[in-house]
Amino acid sequence: MAAERAGFLTQMVEVLTSTVSFGERLNNMVHLLARHLKVDLALYFALDKAREALVLQISSAGPIPAHLRLEFGLGQGLVGETAATRKPRVVHRHQTGVLEANQALGKLHPAFHTLAAFPVADDNFMYGVLLLVDREDRAFTPAERQSVQLACLMLAGTLRQAIVQEEAKKRIAELSVLFEVGKALSSTVELEVLLERIVSTTAKVITARGAALHIQDKATGEARVSSRYGQIPSVCPALPEMLPSPGASGEPPHHEGQAVDADGRTHFCLAVPLTFKGPLTGTLGVYDKLSPAGEFLPFDPENRQLLYTMAGVVVNAIENALTYQQVEDLAERNERMVMNLTTLQEIYRALLTTVQAEKLLDMVLQGLTLEQGLGFDRALVLLVDEATLTLNGAKGARRTPALIKSSLYDALLRPLSQAIPLTDWQIPLRTDQGPLAQAVLMKRPYHWHRAQKAPGLPGPLAQKYAAREFYVVPLIVKDRATGVLMVDNHDSGRPLSTEVLGVLQMFAAQAALVLENARLYSTIEANNRELLLMRERMLESDRLAALSSLASGMAHEIRNPLVSIGGFARRIAKLVEEKSPLRGYVEVIQEEVTRLEKLLREILDFTGENLSYYGDHDLAKLIEDTLVLVQRDLKASKIEVVKDYAELPRLHCDDRQMKQVFYNLFQNALQAMPQGGNLTIRTYPLEKPDGLYEAVAITDTGGGIPLEVLHNIFNPFFSTKDYGTGLGLAIAQRIISRHYGQIEVNNEMGKGVTFIVSLPVAKYCLVKETGQRVVPASALHAPKGGGG
Amino acid sequence: MKKILVADDEMAIRLLYSEELKEEGYEVYLAANGREALEIVDKIPLDLVILDIKMPEMDGIEALRQIKERRPDLPVLLSTAYGEYRQDFATWASDEYLVKSSDLEDLKSVVKRYLKD
Repeated sequence: MAAERAGFLTQMVEVLTSTVSFGERLNNMVHLLARHLKVDLALYFALDKAREALVLQISSAGPIPAHLRLEFGLGQGLVGETAATRKPRVVHRHQTGVLEANQALGKLHPAFHTLAAFPVADDNFMYGVLLLVDREDRAFTPAERQSVQLACLMLAGTLRQAIVQEEAKKRIAELSVLFEVGKALSSTVELEVLLERIVSTTAKVITARGAALHIQDKATGEARVSSRYGQIPSVCPALPEMLPSPGASGEPPHHEGQAVDADGRTHFCLAVPLTFKGPLTGTLGVYDKLSPAGEFLPFDPENRQLLYTMAGVVVNAIENALTYQQVEDLAERNERMVMNLTTLQEIYRALLTTVQAEKLLDMVLQGLTLEQGLGFDRALVLLVDEATLTLNGAKGARRTPALIKSSLYDALLRPLSQAIPLTDWQIPLRTDQGPLAQAVLMKRPYHWHRAQKAPGLPGPLAQKYAAREFYVVPLIVKDRATGVLMVDNHDSGRPLSTEVLGVLQMFAAQAALVLENARLYSTIEANNRELLLMRERMLESDRLAALSSLASGMAHEIRNPLVSIGGFARRIAKLVEEKSPLRGYVEVIQEEVTRLEKLLREILDFTGENLSYYGDHDLAKLIEDTLVLVQRDLKASKIEVVKDYAELPRLHCDDRQMKQVFYNLFQNALQAMPQGGNLTIRTYPLEKPDGLYEAVAITDTGGGIPLEVLHNIFNPFFSTKDYGTGLGLAIAQRIISRHYGQIEVNNEMGKGVTFIVSLPVAKYCLVKETGQRVVPASALHAPKGGGG
Repeated sequence: MKKILVADDEMAIRLLYSEELKEEGYEVYLAANGREALEIVDKIPLDLVILDIKMPEMDGIEALRQIKERRPDLPVLLSTAYGEYRQDFATWASDEYLVKSSDLEDLKSVVKRYLKD
């Protein structure tokens, strides 16, 4: 007997320490007990997790069909009582109430007679109840009971070990999940990648078919980011709609649901909240837990717990990534700003290459419309006319596609290819004249959008210039609005961002400055021209002063010997016989000296010359009169004179001096053409910036003036072999400038020279106080003698 | 015989003037500068002086001033190659201002006018 018992216990230990699964071991033990005690049935009822009921788990009769899964409440029937009291008990069918209380057992063993229940428990914990059933009326011997109780203790130990093991396994699983998640989260700060990893890891650790994550703004409900992984059944509600509500009996909030799809398959979903510190809120959800066989299972509380843990961990990572993304967004924005600034700087560099308003306008438009520039579809420039108080269209341009291998700078310098003419744009500067006028008047940028129903362009312009939205930015210089830039993306429909507005404003500031500079410059340039003219005149008079002093110095030196040469020649002439050949020689000396003395007088008398010889004269007649003087020389040199006189008004001039000019020029031509040639004399009216002139062009065919001496021809006392008069041209220039005229040389090497004398039709004189010219009416219309 | 002093630094001019004036019947004294001219003015009871302006040592304008100091009654003609000294008020003290010319008829007629009696 004892040996038999020892054998049983040995077998028991063998079963419990075997390497098979825990369920298997339990099963084997129950069978062993049934066999050892020779009872019909050995049953194991396990206390459920809620610790409220005992559920039949193992039967020595074999697998338990679902309808035979007996369940006893705590205290209910023999099994329930044993669990409650934790004391073994043996009852018999005939005892009072036994049958009633344990009727359910009849399903397993209709003819049971003896029931023996043993608690499976250790010092701390109740695991379940072992029930032995037999048809015989049996009284278990103390030794048998001891054996069973021992077996139960061993069973409890095994169960505890199993539970601990299970717990440990779960903890390990959870830890490994957290490790996985942590690994995933720490490996990246890029939000998109991070979210993908979160959902995929979540799905994997929960063995769900799909997972999703959604983050939105707490206040507005506006979606911020979301991510999905795997299969998400369409019959389940979308994540934002699964905002978890607080669970029953104080459970943390979650959402659990199920739905049947068209094929009749039931889908499950589970979602928990993501709680952020900031203004965001979110949901983490999983769909369809997969069994190893691929069936869809509902999620259990453990999954929920895990999901909570995950949610807690990922929140921080997401927050970090969001912050990082914001920082990155800022960095990106900075980078764009730098790029924009570079673009602006490049444009500005190009703008500095010119001060011509027209070119600048083109460049400004290029800058706005070039793809490498600010890239607007259309850009218009309108400028304020302060005289008429209107905003007038200057020019517009369309977007120009980027040319290959062309830098912005180079592209800017090219002429405008897609200009929009704006000549008919004229907007009165009143507040009721739409956004353009308002931008000028308020000195503020304006963002017009059709959707706002704000007044747009006035009347006919609106029809011509269809736009969905546009920006108007005033051009402001020194707190004064000088015009506007107007841009849109009409053709491409790209929206106009506030960032673009910032860049546009910076651009406008530059454009305003350079356009204003150009305006100022053109004024300065006009003034400069005036100044230059004055300066030329001054220089001229300087040169004349130099001429004067040089000439007078020279003249005086010459005058003394001339006086003695001439004087003695006269004396000789008196002594020489009338018939003597010497008489002629002496007369030549006398005449030559007289001519020279006359020339000296002319030169020296320029000083302090008054205008007493001024009158109104016909230019052609003056030329003709002078030609008479050189007629003989022209003929002798075989020079043909070609005349082309235009019908011109009379000139107010000193006729003697003008004749001197022409005489000198003719002398010049004569000397240039000793072998003959053509002398062409042409008169014509000439329009100059400061008024109407009459011009005389005297062209010879003498081969031209060598370049090296060309700049010297008007210098007094300069002479060449070919153009030898020296003083002749200087005197001519002096006389002409006294008439406020100009003399120019057109030199054609190898052909000849053209001297162009231009004289103002109007007698104008410099009024010293104002520097303005006064034009007497008589000079413009039919002149009536005298004047000056 | 009327006595005329010709002061000119150019020997040729002095020669020409003296020949022409002698021919007209005057007694001619010659000086090469203002200082020499003054010496003669002090020694000789002259009737007329012809002064060049640009001369070394003492120019005609200074000589004119000193002559007019000593003998305010003595006619002094300026005969010069320079027209512009006409503007110099110092020359206004002279009785005539003549620009030199190889034709001495003008000069001779002016001299004649002063020495009529």
